[in-house]
Amino acid sequence: MKPLTGFSLLRPPTLVGALEMMSTLEHAQPIVGGTDIIPTFKDLGSKPVHLIDLGLIEELNGIMEEDGKILIGPTTTHTQILTSKVIEKTAPALHDAARWIGSVQIRNRGTIGGNLCNASPAADSAPPLLVHGAEAHICSLEEGHWIPLLELFKGPKMTVLKPNEILIGLRFPTIAGASSSFQRIGRRKGFTLSVVNAAVYVERKDDALKEARIALGSVAPTPIRAPVVEDKIRGKKMSEELIDEAAEACVEVAKPIDDVRGTAEYRKDMTAVLVKRALREAWRRTGGEL
Amino acid sequence: MEYDRILSDLLNRDEYLVVGKKTVRLDALDKLLGKARFTSDYIPKNTMTVKVVRSTMPHALIKRVDTSTALMVPGVVTILTAKDVPGENEIGYALPEQPFLNDKKVHYVGDPIALVCAIDETTAQEAMEAVVVEYEPLPAVFDIDAALAEGAPIIHKENNVAVKTKIRKGDIAKGWKDSDVVVEDTYWSPYQEHMCLEPEAAYAVPDGVGKVTIIACMQSPHLVREKVARVLGWKLNQVRVIQALTGGAFGKKDDTGPLISGYAALAAIKTGKPAAYIMDRSEVLSVTPKRFPVRFKYRSGADGKGKLTAVEVEITLEVGAYANRAPFWLWRQTAHACGPYEVPNVAVDGRAVYTNKVYGGSYRGFGNLALHFAAEQQVDKLAYELDMDPVDFRMKNILRIGSRTTCDQLLDNSVGIDKCLAGVAAASDWAKHREPVRIGTKIRGWGVGCAYHGNSTSRSTPDWSAASLMIHGDGSLTYRTAICEIGQGSPFGHAKIVAEIIGCNLDSIKIEQPDTDSTPDSKPTHGSRGLMMGGTAAADAAIKLRERIIRVASNMLDCPEAHVELRDSQAYNRKKPSVKIPFAEIVEEMHIRGENPASYGFYTSPRRFFDVDTGLGYNYAVYTFAASVAEVEVDTETGQVEVTKIWPAMDVGKVIDPLMVDGQIHGAISQGIGFAIMENLQLKDGVVTTTGFKDYIIPSALDTPEIDDTIVVEEPYKHAAFGAKGVGEPSIISIVPAVVNAIHHATGLRFSTIPITPDRMHKALKEAGKK
Amino acid sequence: MVNFELNGAHVSFEAPATMTLLDMLRVELGVTSVKKGCEQGECGACTVLIDGYPMTSCIILAPQVEGRHVCTIDGLAENPLMKELREAFMENGAVQCGFCTPGILLSAYALLRDNKRPSEEEVKTAIEGNICRCTGYVAIIESILDAAERIAPD
Ligand SMILES: Cc1cc2nc3c(=O)[nH]c(=O)nc-3n(C[C@H](O)[C@H](O)[C@H](O)COP(=O)(O)OP(=O)(O)OC[C@H]3O[C@@H](n4cnc5c(N)ncnc54)[C@H](O)[C@@H]3O)c2cc1C
Ligand code: FES
Ligand code: FES
Repeated sequence: MKPLTGFSLLRPPTLVGALEMMSTLEHAQPIVGGTDIIPTFKDLGSKPVHLIDLGLIEELNGIMEEDGKILIGPTTTHTQILTSKVIEKTAPALHDAARWIGSVQIRNRGTIGGNLCNASPAADSAPPLLVHGAEAHICSLEEGHWIPLLELFKGPKMTVLKPNEILIGLRFPTIAGASSSFQRIGRRKGFTLSVVNAAVYVERKDDALKEARIALGSVAPTPIRAPVVEDKIRGKKMSEELIDEAAEACVEVAKPIDDVRGTAEYRKDMTAVLVKRALREAWRRTGGEL
Repeated sequence: MEYDRILSDLLNRDEYLVVGKKTVRLDALDKLLGKARFTSDYIPKNTMTVKVVRSTMPHALIKRVDTSTALMVPGVVTILTAKDVPGENEIGYALPEQPFLNDKKVHYVGDPIALVCAIDETTAQEAMEAVVVEYEPLPAVFDIDAALAEGAPIIHKENNVAVKTKIRKGDIAKGWKDSDVVVEDTYWSPYQEHMCLEPEAAYAVPDGVGKVTIIACMQSPHLVREKVARVLGWKLNQVRVIQALTGGAFGKKDDTGPLISGYAALAAIKTGKPAAYIMDRSEVLSVTPKRFPVRFKYRSGADGKGKLTAVEVEITLEVGAYANRAPFWLWRQTAHACGPYEVPNVAVDGRAVYTNKVYGGSYRGFGNLALHFAAEQQVDKLAYELDMDPVDFRMKNILRIGSRTTCDQLLDNSVGIDKCLAGVAAASDWAKHREPVRIGTKIRGWGVGCAYHGNSTSRSTPDWSAASLMIHGDGSLTYRTAICEIGQGSPFGHAKIVAEIIGCNLDSIKIEQPDTDSTPDSKPTHGSRGLMMGGTAAADAAIKLRERIIRVASNMLDCPEAHVELRDSQAYNRKKPSVKIPFAEIVEEMHIRGENPASYGFYTSPRRFFDVDTGLGYNYAVYTFAASVAEVEVDTETGQVEVTKIWPAMDVGKVIDPLMVDGQIHGAISQGIGFAIMENLQLKDGVVTTTGFKDYIIPSALDTPEIDDTIVVEEPYKHAAFGAKGVGEPSIISIVPAVVNAIHHATGLRFSTIPITPDRMHKALKEAGKK
Repeated sequence: MVNFELNGAHVSFEAPATMTLLDMLRVELGVTSVKKGCEQGECGACTVLIDGYPMTSCIILAPQVEGRHVCTIDGLAENPLMKELREAFMENGAVQCGFCTPGILLSAYALLRDNKRPSEEEVKTAIEGNICRCTGYVAIIESILDAAERIAPD
């Protein structure tokens, strides 16, 4: 482990202030909870950066429901997500994922924006947001734009954010008759990083899948969607056979690697198990029967 | 002296005052208030920091160590290498092959080479990175087979075998002839990391000329003193070692205590400044000793009636870079090879093999955890082969009074394993759980494990312990033992023994932190001897003091000595209990009458006999016995195993405190479950890759099973105070086999290696077509 | 200069950006009840309450507590709920080496403050971030449930 050294910390109270720092300072990097940055600095050595703490900027924090959309500020902590009735109702997968991120201490500190911008393939909040069709609001001092969340991820620990940009918001629509589920495999019951995770979103029309979306984590360099599989099952009548078919097809989509947390083979096989479980649960949550 | 009887006769009480009762530990409040001090809590701000430059090569000759650039980093005080070691550059435990600082050859990634002393951590880190070590790489070996292969690189000596052991009992050929069923398998038990919550820390202060004071976490201040004095080339009385409260040890700090103390002490005396060496978690995981990995090749036989006939075992212990405790570890495995069963014909061959990896060391269960993981599966397999119930089969062969152990030791007292096994079988409704139960994607199964563990030294090596006790003018007492408080509470157990014998209030005793300048040498806090040996030395000190108190009190009360009762820190005449004399008054009178208010307790184990050539004889003073039943649920889809319930039992000789017994058992269950299903130290090319809690996962609160009330069996050991035996170590040994046997019961799968992680389980289920 | 409240008292301290809250507390301010077990947020030994929420101080930068309330067990010595917890821990034998104890007490305190009658599962979840290698958690979980029972109005 290395001592922390060579970086500075700035704590702008306003978004504009933060964006100004991001665009004027060389090597500026946002920090909020620091639950990813600080352990990484200790493991690999500190980077000589200006850490811009977004934690004081009020407008970046909180959960709002507006015009059929859920808006989440990037500095919203996992505890805030977990205890939000709105999230529990509209995006159960995200609620469940928040439960499994770290321990109480980490959930109190770590943020959804940090979880996404850290761009770990195992980030637990990514699959639920992906299946809910979330978009990310990216902003620099000059301009802001919304992108589909999937486009944020470029590779392990890499995002498309330019050096002067920050994530300032997330949004996804609320849709009647929809529900979702999040599933993960850890190496113990207590807090631990996911070996594989998955989220499924469904919209039900009677006994058919009006819409189905599947996202997987820890099986590729970034969290991924499984559009091929989604296309296969969309519009079909729901059944155990369809679930099996979807699960098996997801295995083909998964391209995992071996690491200290598990083998590639295990991750592939678990993808099927998790997708099955998630499909069943999401379906039941819409009131559907099996 | 048969202590258990002596004490009950002496005290003549219908019911003990504190022994056997739940009491609040004397150290609990300080710890709960955050006022208990661990080593790093003593270190003042701005103390000089010591960091260790370690080898980055698994096996190499050191060509050159260049510290010149590093010394120029502003804030560096000095950098010490082997040539700065004033005494012997040697820190090995069993064999003299482990340099304190390496200058010729390195044997694993992590071998110490130089000590950087600097004003703070950042500076020390910078300087450490600037030290240039030039190596000539040598071929390295990372597993036992490679180390044993013809022409393998030589790590310390030809053929890389550090030590060998052997037992020949009965006639093994006849054993096989008598066998109707024979089962054979090879087992591998890997490294386990202790994961003490407190990382190693040592603080050393130079004390004038020719003296140094060390405060550190450890398990034996006198061992630390001996090792540090040797490195410094000093006399024992020039080194003062104080054990600070230690945040978990489990054997680890018995090995690291001397090392870290040595680093801090050398830095302190060379610079004349106080020095602090604190490890971080990744250093602890990467370079400090672990549970030794080991391979067992087992062949076991039984006859048609269910009697064990023969056991043959080949043990290959992987010691890593240095032998350290390997000879003792290997002897324990050799001597316990049959498990807690009577087997007439036994052949065991053991060898300890060097590799270029982090070395093994003491860890709770000392060899016996791995041994029982294998031995108890063998027994289970035989039972299945014979179509007998695993509990019934064990019961037929279990050690009893009059039985002979693996090494032919006749057991003539304190054998309660049959009661333990019967107890857990009854409590768990064993007979009703003979069929695994499917619940959705999960299958529930039940398994049993038995264990025994010799207390104190192996092979009849003499063992002794000492303690001291002083009663002060106000009747309060100071108790000194070098048995360390490392979480297990042994010194508190001693205090209870003292309180019982002296009749003083428990809270009138202060237990001093061990300090080699004043604390007698109790020998180390290991080998399940902390309470059994240390507590008996405490009893000896207490009995001596008691005699003097009684003598004076009988005079003051004007009654025969036999009528004097001591309790609540007062003396009174049993026949006339209304008149009570407080201890304070007695102590005053003791001084006047020339009765010594201080006493020194000393206890030596009875002499025994052991023949190293055959491996037979009176090996251990006594054994602690344990049995557990485990209930597990295996998710056949994901391979995840959950241990849902444990029924534990232990023959502890005598319970000194039920809370302490439960505490040890519960902690051991957690560590045992961790080892069985999740803890997985991984290495790549000899480098540990799981260097923190994130990757080396251990059980959390959510991984805690339901634990049934401990079934406590009390078969007193006749040579220890109140008959108490060690509980901390034996408690872990039966858990791992119980869990793996339960997994077998649920899935029909046998695992010859642990941990049974979800991916391994899943793979096994898949291969067996059971998914 | 960081200004914050530590156990009810105002503190101003010149902390560099590279100093963790844990080091500021332990080394600079002498609050040694907060323990260093891993420095990675993984063990919970360094748990403090920030504005009442348990967090691991080893991965928080000292200047980040500007204007916040930091509480360690030293600040709760006289707190009635903490007293009940201590009592229960003592009676159940929930303290062994004691290195995890301060952190666990803070997590338990935060739980019981907000949830007077937690289930066993809720207790386990509340302390899952506090690793204990000695006790196997059983006595700790029982103690927290016992303390809850004692403080509950009925
Ligand atoms: C013990 C422990 C357990 C954990 N367990 C889990 C787990 O189970 N599952 C899981 O998914 N994660 C886990 N994590 C990882 C981590 O806690 C989460 O990813 C957390 O959400 C990160 O948030 P943060 O605010 O702390 O991020 P920070 O560390 O502050 O930042 C993380 C990264 O995101 C960037 N960033 C942050 N906010 C923005 C923004 N608004 N715009 C642009 N860039 C930004 C930072 O520059 C940095 O690169 C764990 C971490 C720890 C220490
Ligand atoms: S020291 Fe902070 S969590 Fe371990
Ligand atoms: S009591 Fe030692 S770690 Fe919990």
